[in-house]
Amino acid sequence: MLLVALGYYVGASIGFALKFPHVTPSVMWPPNAVLTTTLLLTRPRRWWIYILAVLPAHLAVELPLISPSALVLGLFVTNCSEAMLAAGLLHWLSDQPTRFDMLRRMALFVGAAAVVAPLVSTFPDAALVSALRGERYWSVWLTRFPSNVLAELTITPPLVMLITARYDRLRTVPLGRFVEGAALAFALLAVAVVGFGGPPGEAMGGLWSVQTPFVLLLPCLLWSAVRFGPRGLSVCLLVTVLLAIRAGMLEVGVFTMPHREDGVLALQLFLTIVSIPLLCMASVMEERRRTSDALAERLAFEEMLSRLSNAFVHLPSSETDRTLETWLERVGEHLQLDCLILLEFSGTGDAFVARSWNAATPKPGLLMFASDDFPWAVAQLRREQPLNFTDPDDLPMAALGERAILRRHGVRSGTVLPLEAGGRVLGGLAVIRFAEAPAGQEQIESRLGLVGEVFASALARRETEDALRASEGMKSAILASLGSGVAVVDRKGTIIAVNDSWVKRTDEAAPPAASEAGVGDNYLAGWRQVAARVAHAREAVAGIEAVLQRRRESFALTYPSSSSPKSRWFQLSAVPLESSDGGAVISQTDITDWKHAELEAQRSREELAHFTRVSTMGALAASLAHELNQPLTGILSNAQAARRFLQAKSPDLDEIRAILADIVADDKRAGEVIERLRELLRKGGSQPERLDLNGLVRDVVKLVGSDALIRNVQIHVVFSADAPTVAGDRIQLQQVVLNLLVNAMDAMTDCPREERVVTVETTTNEPDGLACVSVGDAGVGFDPSKHDQIFEPFYTTKTQGMGMGLSISRSIVEAHEGRIWATKNTGPGATFRFTLPLAAPRVP
Amino acid sequence: MNGAGKRIVVVDDDPSVRRGLERLLKSAGYRVTSFASVQDMLTGADLDSTACLVLDVRMPGPSGLELQAALAHEGMRVPIVFISGHGDVQMAVRAMKAGAVDFLSKPFDAEELFDAVEQAIQRPRPAKASKRR
Repeated sequence: MLLVALGYYVGASIGFALKFPHVTPSVMWPPNAVLTTTLLLTRPRRWWIYILAVLPAHLAVELPLISPSALVLGLFVTNCSEAMLAAGLLHWLSDQPTRFDMLRRMALFVGAAAVVAPLVSTFPDAALVSALRGERYWSVWLTRFPSNVLAELTITPPLVMLITARYDRLRTVPLGRFVEGAALAFALLAVAVVGFGGPPGEAMGGLWSVQTPFVLLLPCLLWSAVRFGPRGLSVCLLVTVLLAIRAGMLEVGVFTMPHREDGVLALQLFLTIVSIPLLCMASVMEERRRTSDALAERLAFEEMLSRLSNAFVHLPSSETDRTLETWLERVGEHLQLDCLILLEFSGTGDAFVARSWNAATPKPGLLMFASDDFPWAVAQLRREQPLNFTDPDDLPMAALGERAILRRHGVRSGTVLPLEAGGRVLGGLAVIRFAEAPAGQEQIESRLGLVGEVFASALARRETEDALRASEGMKSAILASLGSGVAVVDRKGTIIAVNDSWVKRTDEAAPPAASEAGVGDNYLAGWRQVAARVAHAREAVAGIEAVLQRRRESFALTYPSSSSPKSRWFQLSAVPLESSDGGAVISQTDITDWKHAELEAQRSREELAHFTRVSTMGALAASLAHELNQPLTGILSNAQAARRFLQAKSPDLDEIRAILADIVADDKRAGEVIERLRELLRKGGSQPERLDLNGLVRDVVKLVGSDALIRNVQIHVVFSADAPTVAGDRIQLQQVVLNLLVNAMDAMTDCPREERVVTVETTTNEPDGLACVSVGDAGVGFDPSKHDQIFEPFYTTKTQGMGMGLSISRSIVEAHEGRIWATKNTGPGATFRFTLPLAAPRVP
Repeated sequence: MNGAGKRIVVVDDDPSVRRGLERLLKSAGYRVTSFASVQDMLTGADLDSTACLVLDVRMPGPSGLELQAALAHEGMRVPIVFISGHGDVQMAVRAMKAGAVDFLSKPFDAEELFDAVEQAIQRPRPAKASKRR
């Protein structure tokens, strides 16, 4: 305020001083311009302070010189009104009233401050003077208006710009600019001295004319406008104006005219007319310069951005960390930041790594934080919300922890942008400032956003690559751990890749040529070589080709080795490779041990089955004897009857024939019984064949028929009308039915005779491809909680029996890819069922 | 034979056995009627005029031994010759104690059968009036 008052005082003093000899009005009236400058730089709310501050200065200057006192006060009011009008209009109309770097802003200033405000305020001004001093109104108006205009035009811009200039940037100005500035100043002074000084003497007389000052001045002013912008020009203009007025005061130069008032007016007009276009031109130049600077800067940024993107394109993920640090530094330097931090959430999200670059310290820092230390900020980022604060204390209460940490580190302001890729927040990019946020913040933020995108995609890429590498590592570890030899072949059967077991596998695994096949060889070629004489080689070639041509989903083949003296077994399997180029994965496994174990198990199962069959048959022996006795009795009776008939005189030959037919039938019947017996007692390997399930069940029912008779058990048989056909071993499956029937009859030993009914049923379930046999009794049933136990070996509830029947039955059924289970009847007793896959229809 | 012309009833579920026995007994001069089960026999035969019942032990439905017990209960003393495919000693003893004439194990010789049937025919039969109450 003191400065403002002082400035006003000095301005007014100068105003009084800048007079041509013997002329009342000043050539230029600076105090108004000083006040305008002040008001432009301050907020309207506080104007009254400054206006009050300049009042004493006004009075101090004018009271001694001007009378009456009322005029002094009135002039104060008009001076203030001019400044307020100028500043008010600019505050209202201009986006940046204190800047003159755009044509629009400059034109507004010229219009509002240099034309409208003086024009408006000069009317009351002139009215006051003419009323109180009796001077002629228009003469007063005409002297005051130009001087006010000139003052606003030439004093306000340099003052404003000198006050708002950032002198800290002076250090960065190159020496050449200082030299150029000095040269300009020297030239200007020289021109002013020469131009306004009048003819220098006879020596130069021929060259001198009235136009000389203008001709010499113009290049200097243009120079300043082009090279130093509005600021340089306005200073130059001020200097020129002061020098021109001084020349006029000393009555030298071109403005010394016969009528002094005319000289003053001419000078004022000249300076005003020169100033306005020059100021406008300078602002246009400045605007263009700024635009091109901004373009160049933008170009530089974009170039950096593209280099940044490039840096990550073909980068192996192991290099990502180092490159991130390098580029953090480059981005920070390019954007002239204080501190740039890249935050990266850990996989679990409960921690993050902060990689920071600080303008003050040369080396990038790497710190690890727990997410819990920054709960609010982390939550904000996770919601993809950017953080922006100009003061840590602006952050909400929830961010109290963050506020404390930021204050501790002296952070003034900051921006954190979430780094997001593929819909997931991977981290953040933070700009931290330790000083006042500079202008053009939004631009930096949008640029940070672009940089952030590159960083985010780099982080995402690294994550994907790491995951891929981990999964590839896992896959190759799995492949390496496999005992089977695995090879990947292309569409033509050429081996692309193999695992360790393939390399180390036994040589008998494949035919000679294929056994040596490695990467680059054709796997099928080896098989084809031996296909002519080895049946399974033909099968292998056909199967693998079918898989390669996508005609089959998978192919598997078990084959014995042909070359080895000791018999070995191998399994070959091929599945299509999920790849656009086709191909297949082939694995070869030595299953000799497995095969031996399987054969061993089969043998012991058969032995056990035979043993249980024999023991079952033992139990049935009595009834089987009866079964044989029946036909034998028939045969004997009939034969003896026939002999007796033949002793008659005229034997009835028809009767004899009938007898013989009965004998033959009985004989066959006896034979069948014995055949059935022998079949069941036969000890032998599996003989898979197509079986009529109804017929199979019927045979067994016949076998136990006499036993059922003895035990007074009725057997109801319900056969499926579909005549289901299954594939399997007749004896084994008969044994299952036999076991179930004998069990059913055993279960009813203690039942009343009329309740002793066994129901045997065969059914077909076409949709599921299953045939089912059920054997239901009305006996004691079983405890459902012991369901699984009853199929275990040696589980029995009978006083006689080994508990092997159901266990053997289960292993037989399961060997036939079937299932066996028991359910408790709703009435008394239990029902045992087993299913078998229906045999494929016979190819006609 | 002495009993020629007498009526013999055969009950056996096995058709070929049944026919063989029928022929054999006919060749010896008996009049023979045969049935496949006890049930059929009870509805189809006139037991009063029957000289001998040749009865299988095990049959679907009531067994021969059960028929024997029922007849005894009714006071009908038809002489019975049992024939059995797997007659065990216990069963034979039970049948004989209950008044059976003989117990033949299948298969048996014609002479054995004829002897048993003849013995049955010869056996004195108490009057129907002596039916136990």
